[in-house]
Amino acid sequence: MSTQLAALSNELAAAVKQAEPHVVAVHARPRFSSSGMFWKPGVIVTAEHTIRREEEITVTLPDGHTVPATLAGSDAGTDIAVLKVEAGPARPPHAAAPAPGTLALAIGRSEESGVNASLGIISACSGEWRTWRGGQLDRYIRLDLNVFPTSDGGAVINTAGELIGVATTALSRIAGLAIPTATIERVAEQILTRGHVARAYIGVGLQPVELPEHHKGLIVLSLEAGGPAAKAGVLVGDIFVAVGGRAVAETEDLQGALESTAPGQIVEADVLRGGDARKIKITVGERPRRG
Amino acid sequence: MHAFGEIAEKLRRSTVQVHTFGRRHGGNGSGVIWSADGLILTNAHVTRGPEAEVELWDGRRFPARLAARDPRRDLAALRIDAPSLDPAVPGDSRTLRPGELVIAVGSPLGFAGALSTGIVHSIGKQWIYADVRLAPGNSGGPLADANGRVVGINTAVVNGLGAAIPSATALDFVRNGARPALGVSLRPVHLGLQILELDPDGPAGLAGLRAGDVLLGRLEDLHAALDAGGQTIRVRFLRDELRRVRETVVRLAARAEAAA
Repeated sequence: MSTQLAALSNELAAAVKQAEPHVVAVHARPRFSSSGMFWKPGVIVTAEHTIRREEEITVTLPDGHTVPATLAGSDAGTDIAVLKVEAGPARPPHAAAPAPGTLALAIGRSEESGVNASLGIISACSGEWRTWRGGQLDRYIRLDLNVFPTSDGGAVINTAGELIGVATTALSRIAGLAIPTATIERVAEQILTRGHVARAYIGVGLQPVELPEHHKGLIVLSLEAGGPAAKAGVLVGDIFVAVGGRAVAETEDLQGALESTAPGQIVEADVLRGGDARKIKITVGERPRRG
Repeated sequence: MHAFGEIAEKLRRSTVQVHTFGRRHGGNGSGVIWSADGLILTNAHVTRGPEAEVELWDGRRFPARLAARDPRRDLAALRIDAPSLDPAVPGDSRTLRPGELVIAVGSPLGFAGALSTGIVHSIGKQWIYADVRLAPGNSGGPLADANGRVVGINTAVVNGLGAAIPSATALDFVRNGARPALGVSLRPVHLGLQILELDPDGPAGLAGLRAGDVLLGRLEDLHAALDAGGQTIRVRFLRDELRRVRETVVRLAARAEAAA
């Protein structure tokens, strides 16, 4: 009986040991450090909300050395930040999509006591999910485990030591989440090539409206002069019913429909104007960046 | 899992409640039976008063005598006159790894024999941190590994984590007794360490130091000096006048109070 328990204990410790060489401590905010994870040699991903300054960022590596790091860029919407250092290990092996009930470990690091771990389960999983910060996660993975402040931004792994995602406490008020590896792949690559994540936009102000037969749409209340929609001939009062083939009933649906469209590409909108249905081709622009 | 219960049942027989009395020093903590003939290990902060009583898992109560106390490491050894107890099996805290399953037994908030489980969070310089839920009353009780071997003495809750004194430290205390101490409680201040409380019969008190004096230097350096093995240490301090550095020699108590 207790040999089973000892076997599980050894399995957990082995999983921590396997993830350990990939996990670093990140010093980029007052009081508490956070954690981060090597995504590939020289590239560390962490939770964006734990990065409170853009300069004088350092990371404590698994060998105990603390080295300077530069902020390659970040995306508040998905809570991903990318740091660059001189060198480091490749990404850890990825886990298959987790199911609710799977045992999971959050792995972090602090300068004082080295690698750390907390244990729990994946409590809920679903498909694509839009965060309250406006970004899109490829999967929603809720954690039922303690993500301590110094482990925020660290790795979430299964008991085989395979990567499920990056831990964050900033995307849900009720639980920690794992930012899935597919989202990191998508967002981190954009950050590395452009320094930021380009968000598609068409330059319209919208409001949901009821249509006959319980259909819904989005009515254009304002147009950015010279913006992508205005250029394409959209008028105030037009009603969007679908964009890129996806029905739009709420304003978030438009963001979702544009998520897979890169700036510069053309998206087709189904529009009602004066009761007539028509299709308008819009060349999607890049949302101007604030600040 | 069945196995947690099995380990917990054994561990409960090796865990005691420590009751202390008096208005200032009264309270409840836990302790670990370290030898079959009545040596009990607990935290120094559990045994502040002169008297203590030990209650076994089966409800029997015994008066306890303080055999040794090490406030710097927060450890104390008690002696009770009770035959053939079930001692805990010590583990090796030096080989403990983050991620290992751990089990804490104690009497949090007075619930005797309560069990909490979790994993080792990290191995600190001074303490083992565990992702287990502890409460006042767990202090002095055992933290055991997946084989039921005691790897730590639960001592504090730090940022939501259980902090335990490693069993290697506990073993050193049982074998070699308390480390030399000044007999003071200190708080860090701008210039050094200010004496808050002082035992008038302790080494610092006998050397003429007083509450309010500020010892110059850092805590680590003071600890290093105390552990250097000498019979005396030289202490530089400030009293009243900021410009006048005073000096005294503190004679340390011999490290002879081995508990076992």
